[in-house]
Amino acid sequence: MRAVATPKQPESKTLTVCLVGMPNAGKTTLMNVLTGSSLHTANYPGVTVTLSEGKSKASFGEPLNIIDLPGVNSPFSPSQEEELSCQVLTGKHDLVKPHAFILVVDASQIERHLKFASFAARQGKPIVIALTMMDLLERVGQTLDPQKLSQALGLPIIPIDPRTGDGAAELIKVLHKTINQPTKSNVLENLSDEPIEAYNVIRKILNEHKVITSTNPQLARQQDNLTSHIDSFVLHKFFGFPIFFIILSLLFASIFWVAQPFMDGIDNGFKWASENLVQLLGDSILIKFLAEGIIQGVGAVAVFFPQIVILFFLMTLLEDSGYLARGAALVDRPLSFLGLHGRSFVPMLSGFACAIPAVMATRAIPSKRERLLTIGILPLMSCSARLPVYALLLAALFPAESAWKAGIVLTAIYFASLLISSLIAGLVSRLAYRRRSLSLLAMELPAYRIPQWKPIAYLTWSRSGSYLKKAGGPIIIISAILWLLANFGFGSQQTNPTNIANSANSTISAVSANKPLIVKSELDNSFAAQIGKTMEPLLLPMGVDWRVGVGLISAFAAREVFVSTMAIVFHVPGEDEEAQQEGLLKQMRSATMPNSTSHVFTPASIIGLIIYFFFSLQCLSTVAVVRRETNSWSIALVQLFFYTVLGYLLAVSVVQGLRATGIA
Amino acid sequence: MRLTDLPNNEWHAIERLDGPEEDCRRLLDLGLTPGEEVAIVQIVPLGDPLVVSIRGTRLALRRREASWICVQ
Repeated sequence: MRAVATPKQPESKTLTVCLVGMPNAGKTTLMNVLTGSSLHTANYPGVTVTLSEGKSKASFGEPLNIIDLPGVNSPFSPSQEEELSCQVLTGKHDLVKPHAFILVVDASQIERHLKFASFAARQGKPIVIALTMMDLLERVGQTLDPQKLSQALGLPIIPIDPRTGDGAAELIKVLHKTINQPTKSNVLENLSDEPIEAYNVIRKILNEHKVITSTNPQLARQQDNLTSHIDSFVLHKFFGFPIFFIILSLLFASIFWVAQPFMDGIDNGFKWASENLVQLLGDSILIKFLAEGIIQGVGAVAVFFPQIVILFFLMTLLEDSGYLARGAALVDRPLSFLGLHGRSFVPMLSGFACAIPAVMATRAIPSKRERLLTIGILPLMSCSARLPVYALLLAALFPAESAWKAGIVLTAIYFASLLISSLIAGLVSRLAYRRRSLSLLAMELPAYRIPQWKPIAYLTWSRSGSYLKKAGGPIIIISAILWLLANFGFGSQQTNPTNIANSANSTISAVSANKPLIVKSELDNSFAAQIGKTMEPLLLPMGVDWRVGVGLISAFAAREVFVSTMAIVFHVPGEDEEAQQEGLLKQMRSATMPNSTSHVFTPASIIGLIIYFFFSLQCLSTVAVVRRETNSWSIALVQLFFYTVLGYLLAVSVVQGLRATGIA
Repeated sequence: MRLTDLPNNEWHAIERLDGPEEDCRRLLDLGLTPGEEVAIVQIVPLGDPLVVSIRGTRLALRRREASWICVQ
């Protein structure tokens, strides 16, 4: 189901170049300046990392195909992201074979970046250095002469100002020239692989050619005072965590509240489209399938898009400004105690919106063990698809006049998800990795910068789009299958009237005279109901009946589908939403168990359902993404069964426990 | 003397790195090479990691990692 873009090997001689450099060198910004609107993300078969790709703007001369590679700290024991870049650099990658490299070098970190550049220069491909962050040099009281640097290294060096785009045209021109007439030899390619010697040579060259001059002798050791000042607040002994929590609260507040009107709009839009399609084209089975199966399936994905866009926008903003690395440093200690890593912070944060981008974000975690453990607990993060489910169940649990209680419980659920996932991570890391070798943090805290809007907007857009592609396919397919299961049944099957005796407007579909094997059925008689009824022995200990079972199955498409399925199984006419919610709650409160007068939704069974949704991995898209990211079906399936069975067992124990103590 | 024995903002030249080979190799790559001046510039609220300044950049190093850095 992967949208595979065929890798572009030059058609009609468009040359390909790759952007490489250390993290925080300003590659993304440069990429944006060079390619403008032609940027897109490309999936290359065999690699999970999505690369951005684009053509250099026509105004810069003959276009080049440009691919942005993930930043590399050190080619030595690389993370998954770093490994890809190293493969391309060393020519070992099968598909990405560029004609030349643009080495992005941060002028304020020149020694460290030239050290990395030497690794790239050794590979023998034509190289042009793009010098970024010239404006940061001012802050540390230095100036750098690009011409002298270029003479010293024997390589073309173009300073780039990402704000104005100055230097971009020059860069493309020089690239063409360098590809046609490669520079004979340069200093960097002869640099030792051994870091101590390499650094010594780099400093010697910089000093001999007087590349850097100090403009402010007061600023010793290139200390960036602005960054030091901000860090002294942001990482302050007492203020550090309060600031951290305020930033996180603002992030979540925007994810949930700013997104709400957009989500409502999208939701209504899809409902409207679905209803109008039926009205316009009649309610033949095919049209109904399109309207209810497909369009509403797409709607189920699209409704979370605003949240995802806001999440990615704010995360990119925090990343670009430099704060995200500080956040990771703040929580590294508690996380490493649990066997995780400071870099697990970003995936866990994303997990509260959606597990899918969260799982993808784990690629930056250097050690495989910590990465797997992070992926392992991500399904427990209370994702936004659980929110509508909790909202419905809590509304059923608490009468409208004590809605504040629901709010408190909901907050508690969020904290509990953090607490319990920590517990599980801690247990697993202590049991499974008893003699673990500790990993390395060694994380750069980049200088604080004013964020650049254009690259952020682009990154937000491309990351959100990649989410849509990855999550969208499975959700739409599963919701289409579920629609078929809910609308068709065996033709010869007679309904057992007692099973549906209590559903309000139950109508048994007319079974056609010649009894074909499979016919269009009402829900009560459908395959979904069959499955639900077959499952009933499992459901009764949870205190619920087959109708809730149908909801639980359909929730595997996406958890929030549970709510709309409840509306279908309890026969709530779908007109305006408020009435529907009211009607659903009323129906749910009066629904009784088969062959009995006891209610389906009692405090005990509702609490059981909340616990079930809390733990259970009710999301096949997550399973698909985990399988792709870990390249292992067994990890994905073990995770699916572990959380789902755990959720079920805990739900049953709690329901039975509550009943034993007299709470129905 | 180890970097972690020093108070904040006290600059010393690195003498050598004394830790697991592979990890030290990565630290060297990041610029923590002998002869270079280094200092702890800040300690993150829970006492770990430390913020270490080297070659004009700031690195978050766990206390354990910083203790491999022997200074003159």
